[in-house]
Amino acid sequence: MKVKQVMLSQNQFPVVLEKTILKEALEEMDKYGLGIVCIVNDNNKLIGIITDGDIRRKLLKFQKPFSAFYIDNAIDHCINDPLICYSNDSLKKVIDLMGKNEVWDLPVVDKNKNLIGLLHLHQAISKILI
Amino acid sequence: MKKNKIIEIGYGEVKKFSVGGDLPLVFVGGPCAIENRDHALYMADKISKICSKVGINWIYKSCYDKDCRSSPKSFHGVGLIEGLKILDEVRNSFGVPVVSDFSDPSWAKATGEICDVIQVPAYLCRQTSILKAAAKTNRPILLKKGQFMSPWNMKNSCRKIESFGNDKIILAERGTFMGYNMLVNDMTSFPIMASTGYPVCYDATHSVQLPTSMGNISGGQREFIPNLVRSAVANGINLLFMETHDNPSKALSDSNTVLDIKYLENILVQAQMIHQTRIEILNKYGEDNIHKEKE
Repeated sequence: MKVKQVMLSQNQFPVVLEKTILKEALEEMDKYGLGIVCIVNDNNKLIGIITDGDIRRKLLKFQKPFSAFYIDNAIDHCINDPLICYSNDSLKKVIDLMGKNEVWDLPVVDKNKNLIGLLHLHQAISKILI
Repeated sequence: MKKNKIIEIGYGEVKKFSVGGDLPLVFVGGPCAIENRDHALYMADKISKICSKVGINWIYKSCYDKDCRSSPKSFHGVGLIEGLKILDEVRNSFGVPVVSDFSDPSWAKATGEICDVIQVPAYLCRQTSILKAAAKTNRPILLKKGQFMSPWNMKNSCRKIESFGNDKIILAERGTFMGYNMLVNDMTSFPIMASTGYPVCYDATHSVQLPTSMGNISGGQREFIPNLVRSAVANGINLLFMETHDNPSKALSDSNTVLDIKYLENILVQAQMIHQTRIEILNKYGEDNIHKEKE
């Protein structure tokens, strides 16, 4: 089975543009109920991701007011070089990679690093079990 | 953090220069209100000579309509038409860029046609109609931080201005309310506002204001202006704003806070030295890096 058979496609997971502030990025995550948001430039190239865990670690580390945190650019809090996978990758290989790195979500990109989907572990397993 | 934005000041025949980044400090000054033509020209001449002597680029600041006065009896200004005529004469006579604020969206277009920089008053710094009108002039915008605003929330006002197609913004600190009739100066606001990438200005004379502390007018503690200027410049401002008058006790607006022109040269010289030293220190020892968000 390939990644493309189980991945979430555009409009099924949170994506924001690079000028988005953190508050809006978090709202986008909340809208989809997923613990990740992908940040892309105007050409849909993946620039970074933010996960629930990143935010949790920030909250534990920094003491600045929430209002200041919210208005920061999301990109200033993102992981710039996240793990990625390709739509033609074998699902088994990618799930192994996710397990090894303890991540639940993996952006799917094309060869130019354009974002085309998201592999969400729960979704993937559900499809396999069916 | 965004890359430092450099903003070009001046159009037409005035002296043009850039502000932002590591460029030299720029002075913004003049009487709070335009009192009359002769006084405006007299002050422009005096300040021009001082700025020329100390070698600092400057912008003449004076307002034609003081809409935020505490008392209905206070001097309100010479009005839009007369005021802009005087500012135009200052521009043409001294070749200096001018800035004035506006308190009604309908005044913006005319103000932008004469002024090199258009100022948004602190009390109106988040009003969408004002920000839109300022943006549409296509002039650089001196955006005062409201006394009630956190420095980080000024980004919302910047985003509004950007959404109307203007990204020539200068963010100005002018004190923050602490309780009633009292302002404090938070030096962390400079690096916070500078993190937007826009140049940052310190309005030293309004920052020492004690708003409406005299019942129907504002008081102030101008004795602290030099101290606060030194602190602000050391914290990375790009422009220094000080309302200046030849006879503060007789000034028609903000008489308790305007700087007596006899102190201007001394303060500007110190400010320039600190500005230059700060740049040299950062070049030698590197940017502050003790608490990066991305650690």
